[in-house]
Amino acid sequence: MKSKQIIKDILITVSTLVLCFALCLVIHNLLQIEEHITTIFVFAVFLISLTTNGYVYGIIASVIGTVAVNYAFTFPFFEVNFLIFKNLVSGIVMITISILTSALTTKVRRHEMIKAESEKERMRANLLRAVSHDLRTPLTTIYSSTSALLEEKNLSDEQKENMLKGVKEDSEWLVRMVENLLSITKIDSGNVEIIKAPTVLDELIDSVIQKFKKRYPDQNINIDIPDDIVIIPMDSMLIEQVLVNILENAVQHAKGMTELALKVFILGNNAIFEIKDNGCGISHEKLDKIFTGLYNTKPEMVDSQKRNAGIGLSVCATIIKAHGGDIKAENLKSGGAVFRFSLDIEDNTGNM
Amino acid sequence: MNNNKYKILLVEDESNIRNLVSTMLEASEYRVITATTCKEAETMFASHMPDLIILDLGLPDKNGLELLNYVRNESLTPIIILSARTDEHDKVEALDMGANDYITKPFGSAELLARVRSALRNNRHCSEEGKLPGGKFILGDMVIDYDARQIFIGGNEIKLTQTEYNIVALLSEYSGKMMTYSAIIKTIWGYPDEGSIKKLQVNMANIRKKFGIKPGDKSYIINELGVGYRMNSDKN
Repeated sequence: MKSKQIIKDILITVSTLVLCFALCLVIHNLLQIEEHITTIFVFAVFLISLTTNGYVYGIIASVIGTVAVNYAFTFPFFEVNFLIFKNLVSGIVMITISILTSALTTKVRRHEMIKAESEKERMRANLLRAVSHDLRTPLTTIYSSTSALLEEKNLSDEQKENMLKGVKEDSEWLVRMVENLLSITKIDSGNVEIIKAPTVLDELIDSVIQKFKKRYPDQNINIDIPDDIVIIPMDSMLIEQVLVNILENAVQHAKGMTELALKVFILGNNAIFEIKDNGCGISHEKLDKIFTGLYNTKPEMVDSQKRNAGIGLSVCATIIKAHGGDIKAENLKSGGAVFRFSLDIEDNTGNM
Repeated sequence: MNNNKYKILLVEDESNIRNLVSTMLEASEYRVITATTCKEAETMFASHMPDLIILDLGLPDKNGLELLNYVRNESLTPIIILSARTDEHDKVEALDMGANDYITKPFGSAELLARVRSALRNNRHCSEEGKLPGGKFILGDMVIDYDARQIFIGGNEIKLTQTEYNIVALLSEYSGKMMTYSAIIKTIWGYPDEGSIKKLQVNMANIRKKFGIKPGDKSYIINELGVGYRMNSDKN
């Protein structure tokens, strides 16, 4: 990462200087104009300081620029002569410009980083608040039911069974919540880059459907994927979770849904995943914030039906973003909603 | 049911999970002995010779993988790993080191019992018929004729290439055992190279297509993303 940046900076510096030198040669030799040579070099130094990291490249460029102007373009031509006052001044000007520009860009960059960091911090705090709020309900069910089962001796078999069903359901919910949180920490912790491995689309979809069917055995899904073998580099555990979350979200929130479809197709270098339902659609105020996990912290949204909505989808957004992809939700004209995300199929990071 | 109960060694340090798993197994007529540390498990293994070991990888004294190694040096006793999602990497390593299967926490009792049955059955099959497959393998409506190197589903022959047949035969030979990518590659192609995972994936995709398996279908071959494949040995 770091050495790549250095090579890039060196390339920028060298190519800008070479271009500038060539331009000056043309102007000087063909057009016989001498006055603007220094200005052009000053501009080159400014560009280099602006686009590279730190002070070094700008300063080196200005020294080279000064020497070059001095050597090639001022009288006596093709000789270094710093005794001429004019040359000395142009050198000092270039170095000053380079230092000032670098200082400014460094400052701007640092500012941007702090802003991004605080944005991330804010999202994390929101998530934590939403999670801890949501955890209370299932824990209450589990704790109260099990203590009742242990202590109350007069429960009927039916009552016992209902309580146990509630415990099972809510602990399943907890399991999914923990899975989602694990995924987020996996991405967030210490800038660990996602490890992509070539994954066969067929197998991914198979695994997703198996998982989904375990929870919702009665929900039918129409699947439409390419006939050819498609191999996509990804962290398959995480993408599997994205798909399960979106499908689950449809089952829980798309009221009146009768059809649920999962379609994958190839468009250029991207695999587009599309999950469509014909339910009630997404209301406008929710649509804007659906991937940020914020809307469900509003008190009116927190009833037992709605919990977990925001978190699952914001996990999806985090995962897709970490893969360098894009995720969107829209309402369909025909009713219902569609979730769409894309993944790059070019295998440039495959490491298996 | 036979009187001759299978003996299962459960190695797990969390007492709640240990009690729970013991209860589930005992309710299904297995005899359970438990250990909480690697050291204890080694002693138990040597003195009781269990038919199956259920092993949690995170143990207080040593890594569960060391126990796995110790057992594999002595015998082929089937081993099922209990894994948490955080040790995904260990899971694959354990399978490559000779574990038969794994089950991810949290799990339901049906899931656990299916794995246990499967691992015990697989072991019995191996010890009775030896390692070289001969005769026939029957699972649901699929029949593999090892001598003729043919595979039938519902009476119709499925035309497979040499490699595809070898892969299916290998999985059937170890039915019930989770085979990692690298274990399959090593047996089918010898030494792995750059593209061997891709080769395996493409072959598997063709096999699925020829078998007529659609994503999400219950099928003979179960794919475990990022880990490997397993041939079902339960008919359900």
